[in-house]
Parts: sequence; C-alpha cells; structure tokens
Amino acid sequence: MLTQRIEIHKLWDGDNLILGFSIGGGIDQDPSQNPFSEDKADKGIYVTRVSKGGPAEVAGLRLGDKIMQVNGWDMTMVTHDQARKKLTKKNEDVVRLLVTRRSLEDAVRQSMMQH
Amino acid sequence: MEEYDVPSAASILASVKEQEARFERLTRALEEERRNVSLQLERGSLPSDRLVGGTTGGSNQPLAWQQMVMQEQSPSNQTSLAMMQEPQEVVEETVTIEEDPGTPTSHVSVVTSDDGTTRRTETKDNVTNMKVTKMVKTVTTRTVRQVPLGPDGLPLPEGSSPLGSYTDSIDRRYMKNGERFITPQATSTLTRSYNNYSDSYNDAPDSQFRHYTLHDGYGDMADNYGSLSRGVNYRPYRPYMPTGGYRPENSYTLPIRKDDYGHVAQPQVPMGSSTMDLNRSQPERFQPEPYGLEDDRRSLGPDDEEPYDLEPDYSTANRRTLPGRTIREPLRNGPRMRGYEDPIETELIDERHPYIHGMYPAPLAQPERGSLASLDRMGGRRSPSIDSIRKDPRWRDPDLPEVIAMLGHPIDPVKSNAAAYLQHLCYENDKIKKDVRQLKGIPVLVGLLDHPKAEVHRKACGALRNISYGKDHDNKVAIKSCDGIPALIRLLRKTNDMEVRELITGTLWNLSSYEPLKMVIINHGLQTMTNEVIIPHSGWEHEPNEDSKPRDAEWTTVFKNTSGCLRNVSSDGAEARRRLRECEGLVDALLHALQSAVGKKDMDNKSVENCVCVMRNLSYHVHKEIPGAEKFQDPSALQGPGSAGTQRKKKDDAGCFGGKKAKEEWFNQGRKNGEHDKNYDTLDLPKRTEPTKGFELLYQPEVVRLYLSLLTESQNFNTLEAAAGALQNLSAGQWTWSNYIRATVRKEKGLPILVELLRSDSDKVVRAVAIALRNLSIDRRNKDLIGSYAMRDLVSNLPSGQQRPAKNLEEDTVVAILNTIHEIIIESSENARSLITAQAIDKLVAINRTSQSARETKAASHVLQTVWSYKELRNALTKDGWNKTHFQPIPTGTPKGSRSCKPGYDDTTLPLMEKNQGNRGCSGGDMIPMGELGPDGYSTIDQRDKESKYKSSDGSSDLQEREPLKNDTNRKHYIRSNRPTVSLVDACDVKPQPVDSWV
Repeated sequence: MLTQRIEIHKLWDGDNLILGFSIGGGIDQDPSQNPFSEDKADKGIYVTRVSKGGPAEVAGLRLGDKIMQVNGWDMTMVTHDQARKKLTKKNEDVVRLLVTRRSLEDAVRQSMMQH
Repeated sequence: MEEYDVPSAASILASVKEQEARFERLTRALEEERRNVSLQLERGSLPSDRLVGGTTGGSNQPLAWQQMVMQEQSPSNQTSLAMMQEPQEVVEETVTIEEDPGTPTSHVSVVTSDDGTTRRTETKDNVTNMKVTKMVKTVTTRTVRQVPLGPDGLPLPEGSSPLGSYTDSIDRRYMKNGERFITPQATSTLTRSYNNYSDSYNDAPDSQFRHYTLHDGYGDMADNYGSLSRGVNYRPYRPYMPTGGYRPENSYTLPIRKDDYGHVAQPQVPMGSSTMDLNRSQPERFQPEPYGLEDDRRSLGPDDEEPYDLEPDYSTANRRTLPGRTIREPLRNGPRMRGYEDPIETELIDERHPYIHGMYPAPLAQPERGSLASLDRMGGRRSPSIDSIRKDPRWRDPDLPEVIAMLGHPIDPVKSNAAAYLQHLCYENDKIKKDVRQLKGIPVLVGLLDHPKAEVHRKACGALRNISYGKDHDNKVAIKSCDGIPALIRLLRKTNDMEVRELITGTLWNLSSYEPLKMVIINHGLQTMTNEVIIPHSGWEHEPNEDSKPRDAEWTTVFKNTSGCLRNVSSDGAEARRRLRECEGLVDALLHALQSAVGKKDMDNKSVENCVCVMRNLSYHVHKEIPGAEKFQDPSALQGPGSAGTQRKKKDDAGCFGGKKAKEEWFNQGRKNGEHDKNYDTLDLPKRTEPTKGFELLYQPEVVRLYLSLLTESQNFNTLEAAAGALQNLSAGQWTWSNYIRATVRKEKGLPILVELLRSDSDKVVRAVAIALRNLSIDRRNKDLIGSYAMRDLVSNLPSGQQRPAKNLEEDTVVAILNTIHEIIIESSENARSLITAQAIDKLVAINRTSQSARETKAASHVLQTVWSYKELRNALTKDGWNKTHFQPIPTGTPKGSRSCKPGYDDTTLPLMEKNQGNRGCSGGDMIPMGELGPDGYSTIDQRDKESKYKSSDGSSDLQEREPLKNDTNRKHYIRSNRPTVSLVDACDVKPQPVDSWV
C-alpha cells in the first residue's frame, strides 16, 4: 500500500488548536457507511472533510485519505474517539500523519502503465 | 496588633530619647555585670547554677549566656518566651508570655534559684487593666532545668542571641528608623524593655506599668529579653516581606534580613530565628508532608526539603538564613540528627556567608557595640568557625522522658514545642514511637488535642500523626485507647485551621489502616468527616442553587486524607459499608467529586483514587446489602448466569443489534432470543418518584459512564483498578440493577475500553478488568461480544508453558483470567471456538500440566474440560493433534495441593463432561459468587485489606510506589500490535449516523 507522510501544523482557532479536517470511521463505527473506503469492511479512519485553506489542506491532506498513523500511533484499529483524541492533543503543535490514498495508488499505477 | 497608627513625630522623638536614656543605664549595668562575671570566670569559680551574664568580649570566650526566645503566635495571641540559661546548668529561665492586647495577658517569669525551686511569677492583666499578680513557687525537675531547651525542646545553642545585641539593635533601630517604625506596640516594647531594667515596664501605650518579680539582677536581663523579643514579635508589620506569602504573624524574623536598617537590626535575628527555627520551622518541616496511607513516611527525606519552598512561611525562609544556623548546629551533633539535615545545613552555610559578612561586621570594628559583648561574640564566632559550635560539648538533646515531661509543662509554648520536637523525633523512627508509647506520652498528646491554643493542639496533632504512622499497630491502639479518635474528631469539628485539619485527617488516615480501629473511626467520625470535609470539598451541594454553576471538587490535602481514611474504613465489612452508604451526603458528595474530576480531566490524583476506591467498596454486594434489595431480585435469573445461554432471560435489547452481521451466529441468536423482552429500557426498572440520592446512586446506570470515563482517561493504576472493580461489583449479582448495569456497559461502549485495559501493564488492573468482564458476560449479549473480541487479549495474558509472558502476572490474575475464559465459553460453543482459534489450547494444556500453582492448574483444567465438552469442536481439536487426555484433569491428583490452597475457591473438580450435561455448577456459574472468588472476587479493597499480603503491597506502599503510567505510550502500544479489531459495541448504538469529527 502506498503511503504518504503529511505534517500538519495545528492552528489556534480561538481556544482550540485545530487541524482543519474531519474524520470518520473507527472500529466502533459502521464501515459500510464509509463512502471513501474500497473495502466496505474497512474500519479505518478516513478524512471526510477538509476545510479550505486550513492547516490540513495546506499540508496536502485530501478528502478520502485513510489515516494509517498519527505521530506513529496506529490508526487502523482504533475507535473513532481514540483517533480523535490522538489528533487533538493539546500539547502537540504538530501532527505527523501517515496516510494512504487511492488516488495516489491510481497515479502510481498509471505512471507504471505508461512505462 | 493591627493598629499601627503612627504617633506624632514629637512623641516618637520623646520616646526615643527616653529610651536612649534608659538604654544607657542598662548598658552601664550590663557592663558592670559583665565585669563581675568575667572575674568569676577567671577565678574558675563559676558556680554551676549561677547566671553568667556575658563574657568579657573575647570571641574565644564561650558564650555564657544561653538564651532562647520562643515566640508563639497564633492569630489570636502572641506569646514570647525568653529563657536565659547558663550553658551547662540552667540557672534561670525567664518566660514571658504575652498575648494580644485586648486579651487577658499573662506574664510569667520563672526564676529558678539555686535550691532547685522555681519561682513563677505570673502577672495577669486583662483588658480592664486589672492586675493580678501571683507568685507561685514550684519545684521543677532538675532535668528540665538542666537542659537548656529551646521552645521545641531542642537544646539551646549558645549565644544565639546575646542580650546586648537586642538592646543595642532595638535602640539603634529606633534611632535610625524610629520614625518609620514607631508604632504603639513598638514603643511599648521598647519602653517595656527599658522599664524592665528598673523592675517595671510599660506594657502598653497608655503607660500602664506592670511589675515583674525578679529573682535578682539577672532577672532583669531575662525579663528584658522577653520584652525585647516581643519587639521582635511586632516586626511582621514591616511592609517588606522578602518573599511574600508570609503569614503576618509569622514574618517577624526573616524580613529583617532586608531591612533598611540593615545590620543594626540583625542581631535580633538569631533570637527571632531561634524562635522560628525551633518553634516553627522545625515542626513545620513535618507538617506539609503529604501522607500516604500512612503519611510521614514519604514526607520528609533529604530530598524533601521542598516543604520549604512549598511553604512560603517565615519559618521556612528563616531556616535558610544565618540565624537559624546557630540553633540548628547543636542539633547536628545530637544523636538523633538525621541525614536530612545535611542538605539544609549546606544550604544554610552557602547562604550565610555573604550575609554574615555583609551584616555582621567584625566586632572590633564596632566598639560601641563591643560594650555589649554579645554582638562581638556573635560576629566573632559566627563567621570564622561553624565547626567549633558543633563540637561544643555542653549541649545535648533532651532525652525522651524530658520531652514527654515537657508536654505537661505549665507553659503552653513549652508544651507545643515539646510536641513539635516529639513529632520530629518520631519521624520514621519506630523505636522512638514505641518509647513514647511506653513512656505514656500518647495520652498526654491526646489530652493536648483539647487544648484551646492552636499552637498546642496543632503540634500535639502533628506528633500524633507521626506516631500513628507505621506498622506498629500498638501505637495506633494506644491512641485509640485514650480516646484519641473522638478527641481528633472533636478537634476537627472545632478548628478551622486548615493545617490542623490536615494533621487530624492525616492521623485518622493512619489510624484507619488498622483493622480493629476502622469501626471506631466510623462510629465517632464518619458523619463529621463527611460534613466537615468530604461534602464541602467535593463541591456537592445539598440543595443546588439553580442559578449557580455546580462547584468543582477541590483536591485539598484535607480531602485527600479524609477520603483516604474513608477508603480504609470502607473495607471493614458489611456493617462498615452499610454505615458509609447510609451516611448522609457521603455517596452524593463522592460521586459529585468524581464527576467533577472527569469533567476537569483531572483524574490521576490521589483524591480521585480514594474516592473511586470508596465507591468501589460501597458497591460491593449492593445487591445483597442494600435495604429492600430483595424487591429487585430477578427471579428469572436465579438459575445463575450459566443458564442464560439456553434460557435467554437476559434483558437485552436484541433489536439494537441490527441484522448486518448475519455471519455472526451469536448475533442472530441474540436477536432471536432477546425478542420477548427487548425493551429493556423500561423493563423492571423501579419507578422513581423522586430524584435518586444517597446509596441508590451507587448502582444507578448513570455511574457506568463515570467509571468508563475514568477507565478511559485515568493514568493511575489504582484508579483504573478501582473503577474496573466498581463495574465488577455492580455487574455481579442477579438483581434488576446489575442486569441494567451490564447492559449499560455495553451500550456505553464500555466493553472495548475494558478489553483494551486487559493489555495494561498493571497486574491488578488486568485482574480487575478480567473479573469485570466475567461478571459482564452474565449478560448473554456481552458474553457473545466478549467471546468474539476479548478472547485474544485474555489468552495473551496467560503464561505460555513454563515461560510467563512479559507481564509475569500474578497467580491471582492468571486464575482470574482463566475463570473469565471459563465463564465466557460456558454455554457458548462459538466462544469456545474463538478460544481454540486464539491458540489457547497450547497454553491451557501447558498450565494444566506444568504450572506450579494448584489454582492455576485447576482453573485451566476447568476450561479444558468445558472445551472438550463441546462435541462439535472435537473434530477440530483432534485435527490439531489434541486428544482427550489433554483435556482431562491431571490424574496425579493434587500434587500441588490444590485443595489446600485456597479453600472455598473452586473446589469442584469437574468431571470431564459432555456439553449436554451442562454442568453449570462448576462455573461458579452462580453469578460470580462472591465468596467463591476469593481475592479475585468482587470487592477489591475489601479483600485486599483483609489479606495482609495485599495490605502491605497494594494497600499502602503500592499507592505511592507504583509508577504511574507516564503517558499514553504504554497503553497505546498494544493497539499497534497486530490485534484484532476491537469492536465490542452494540452495533445499533453506532450505526444510525456515522460519526464525523472535526479535528
């Protein structure tokens, strides 16, 4: 699986430190309702919205990215809330994500076909 | 002492002039005296019991005067006590006790004459200016007189505050800064000191004179000391507190360091500081310490000098200043000195030199003060050699009988200082505690608890706290035997002094660790502790004001101590639990405090831990013990949990499972079988006509969320264990509430939380969680979910073969896990299949054959037999190479003494059974029979406190020594390992709307 590292610098929004995207999924969620997953049994954490001009978008995060790790923590087998907490730690200014995205694979696949 | 009006400059001037004149007279007299004395000294005819007034001024001349000034101040009174003593033989002590103007004043001068008698002159003076003078002639014990004692019973170092210096400094202070500092009190002080010289002094601005009965000329000086020390007393009014935070009445010493009148005032410091140091800081070092289950243990040590920093108190600061040193030095030589003095000493030395050099000019350079000798001496001996003081053989500590005798001294400061010294001596010294007990010191200390003076009962309480700490229960019993517990409670009701309250509750906490005292504490103190501490500090309000925001709990030391005490007493069996549950406001307040902790995300502290433990203990056996519990018994469930599989009596809302996971067999079963009572939300729930309060709160489903929050957020193993234990207790039993709790845990998504904690590094957390899961699996739905998703984590906690997993869990924990596995595979071949899939058979067989623990062997054997009882699984097992013999009990019988091991544990050795036989009795199936489970049973603290084994490890030390989980790292590691997805939540709760969170 192709992955990409993305480093997002959190932004103060009032009293909140925000990343500027939203997540869905988690092992406590119904994976069948995830519009982004290929495998509908995938209970991973997905990026469901990215706010325009927000830190996440600036850092290159895309809608539908599957978050594999947050600062090294595995995100493929966590509850929704666990993922949210990992992302929103107050004492961390920077979040390093390991994400995988289908478009990435597609792009690579296409480039490989070209050769 | 508050009125500090500045008199007119003229009057000040006049007063200063007059004082100067007196001072001159005094100086002359002093010098004469000194000549006399030095003559005597030269002749070598120093009478042992004669007062020696100073030396001829050489710094090589040992200080002949021993002086101690004690100043006791509490908000309401002020006491200064001065003693002048000849080093080796105390000839004379003069005590001046002075109280606030406006309160009856008593001046006592005690003069000890050669014949060993003490004349005590007391001048009482009340507001109406009536004078009562009485002469008391008493014979005091020689020992007391012979040992120059500081206010706290420490021996006095020599020359800590030479007489002359006081006079001098005050004088000079007035000359230079008089205008600034002259206040009615200060004036009176000075006046008084000069008047003393002529046997009378002005005590008040209104020039009221009092008479001192003095033994002889020396008495003048002694008295003078007392008066002057009073001047010191008033120093707190100075505006420049060096570090801030000084309590006004305490700040009199340190500020002087930064006085603008500089060194002139300095000589007072030793006096004040000796006061401080002995009277205050010494004991105070012991006061700020936190307690464990028993407190003084971890409180003080060389590393713990922080109290000084933590307590921005004059005494603290004072200790760091030069003057403190003078007093402290003799201590170093004392046999009782402890290592922890050293860092402080060092610090003192470090700080002191610049200070000394700056502030204490060489004596000879100041001829005008040389006449008073004392300063000379001070300057002379201080700067060059500290060690010479230490080697001074003339001082010794008072011995224990002396200190205890001083507890009964007629003068309050002596009492309080003796108590403070006792506290110091007893700190971490079991031998001394024992000696105090055997010398009958404890009843005296307890008696002092009722003393009206705050300083006295405070110090007595401090001593009791240290005495009450330790393994020697006899000390605790001794406190109880002289009615110490009701006395402590009385004082708790009476005092508003936070420090005293901390000491009281700390002592009670210590006492509560001894089983036989628990009920005594409950009988005398439960409601008082609840009303005085728990409720107010929890933030809970009886009648909450609609408008005001609910208050948060305050994690004060008092609250921590009190909750710790309640935590201990709550483990004293059914009657104790009943009393606590029925104690008005207790459960409400504890719950409120915990909710506040969760709200503030402040859950790792000791107070929270204590509260959860109390809650856990009170939740134990609720289904049996609360009044009217019978009404809620679930008749359909009386057959035991084991029957649930076929009977399907569980109150599940099967509907909530939805049909999506049809592949999961249990899922359909659950729905099918739960159909008839799917609306459990209303089912059987007792109708509430009024808001729940008191002990009913213990088992309301609302608490589930609270405990789950703690389990999610807390990093404190003890809190985690207790929260899991509470769920464990609440989910035990067959009554309506436990049914409801079990379902609520599922609906609140508690199962994944619990399963995650199976990976905890803490043995006891794993144990509590495992048993909680066992109880929760009484609910069929839970059993299915746990079987599907928790099996791997359960199995991974089992030792594999000879080799234990990294965690090296205790036997109890392994047994608990085995029992939980057993519980969840009973009546569920699907779960048994999961067990096989989780490759548990290897481990189980290994345990069964090789474990050194009979209990482990037996528990593993039960599991194996149950697995084998599922005929449909045998095929798969055989394919894996297993055969019947692997699942049979090891025929060697009980080589490991399985029966003897834990009686009552699970005695029934199961026959190899067929599934149809449904031998359910074995599962202990009956609802986690509390009795049967032993230490891994329901009530954690209960068990723990009763088994000494746990008591020592878990009950107390454990609380401090366990390394708290530092961060998430530990806990999250296992998530990364290739674990199966933990999805132990009801589908129905989640499915409706996918959650989407902005981050």
